[in-house]
Amino acid sequence: MVVTIIYLAIIVFLLFFIIWNMFTEKDIMLQIDAALVIIPLVLRLLLIK
Amino acid sequence: MTLSIKTKHNVLSALILLALAAGAIVYLSLQFTRMWTPDPVYEGKNPSVKEVRRLSDYNENLKGSKGDTNIYVIEGDEPGDSMLILGGVHANEPAGMLAAVYLVENLHPKAGTVYVIPYTNEAGFTCNDPLEASPMFFSIDTPTGPRQFRFGARVTNPVCQWPDPDIYVHASSGQRLAGSETRNLNRTYPGRTNGTFTEQISYGLVQLIKAEDIAVTIDLHEASPEYQTINTTVAESRAMKVATTGRFNMDWDGITMSVEQSPTTFHGLSHIELGTWTDTLALLMETSNPSQGREHGLTGSDLVIYGKDKFYARVKAAVGLKDSDYSEEYGRPIQQRVARHITAINAYAAAYTEEFANAAAAEDKLTAFTSMGLGASSYPDSDGHIIYEGRRGVIDLGELPSYDTLCTDLFDYLAIPEGQN
Repeated sequence: MVVTIIYLAIIVFLLFFIIWNMFTEKDIMLQIDAALVIIPLVLRLLLIK
Repeated sequence: MTLSIKTKHNVLSALILLALAAGAIVYLSLQFTRMWTPDPVYEGKNPSVKEVRRLSDYNENLKGSKGDTNIYVIEGDEPGDSMLILGGVHANEPAGMLAAVYLVENLHPKAGTVYVIPYTNEAGFTCNDPLEASPMFFSIDTPTGPRQFRFGARVTNPVCQWPDPDIYVHASSGQRLAGSETRNLNRTYPGRTNGTFTEQISYGLVQLIKAEDIAVTIDLHEASPEYQTINTTVAESRAMKVATTGRFNMDWDGITMSVEQSPTTFHGLSHIELGTWTDTLALLMETSNPSQGREHGLTGSDLVIYGKDKFYARVKAAVGLKDSDYSEEYGRPIQQRVARHITAINAYAAAYTEEFANAAAAEDKLTAFTSMGLGASSYPDSDGHIIYEGRRGVIDLGELPSYDTLCTDLFDYLAIPEGQN
């Protein structure tokens, strides 16, 4: 249970910086990369997959 | 070379991409969570189903979790001993699950009580195995319309139990296996009440067998056409007589079945551990399923249902297959795989009755031993069978369709009741 909380906290931490990076990045290709990474991370955060 | 497209409107593009990602997340969430809903089982079709229990009735730790599952209690017209049928221990081996569903909806035992669990590892049905490109569902055509079933994973959903250790150590033996096997229900018997999620499912099953004095347990599986134990029954040593008698009876009907005794050095499997830790006679059966192996092509639902695969046909032509009758034209249809399971279950019930018919007489001796103050609850008869107190030595599954009928008409028996399709 503690491991799960730590895991979810790491995901939230990563998601924050990825989304931050999306809004500051000027290269659309890197923004697309970020958007693709967000999808599995959110599914993990919601414990769906 | 790295493709780079610079923009001055990076906030706008980020918002658009974030909206697209959100859309994908919603769509994928809806798709994946469809597997969380259990498939309907129409036990109302069968008046012999007297009760539906839950596995959490035997291990309350499972209550409200994805590990809880239905146990259908099918009572015979006359008293007899109890049998437990486990389908769906591995959720990517659908013939076992479908055979169990067939029994729930169609079995009318003459004597004894049959406990059937179609989705034994329910948590395995809530996801797919990663990197296998398996279908999430497969559908069969019944006379009242298509009926959909989930095609799950071999092991428990990692959402329910994680992280996997590097090495899985089986609790009661110290056996070491690959870490992911910690979520394999057929490696965790006899389980522990305070163990991992999967161990708690095995523990619940062991408690069920003990509480209901299950005389015979049959665990239904499938394996790839090259695997050594296809069309084989593996039996714990005390169950060998039932397994061999049943096998000979099937030979008379033209169905080939090999019998192997459980290995004594491989732990965690249902047949060896249930046979060791409980008084049940434990058997495990495997059918040949081309969607299981490493040689097949596209893992679509057609492969799951019909088992037709040109690559397995090529493997057979090149180096041979354990499934020596395999052909691309006929494949290994799920009707045939389910028919094998059901015919074998019936054969083993008959073999149990054949082997233990003198149980009542033996129980007189048992009573005599108990009254002599020897405290016996089991007694070996002159044939070496262990006779248990209170057992009658009879399980009669009544009239079941023949193997050939099931091979052609199985889906008719799985029709969705009117008004529920």
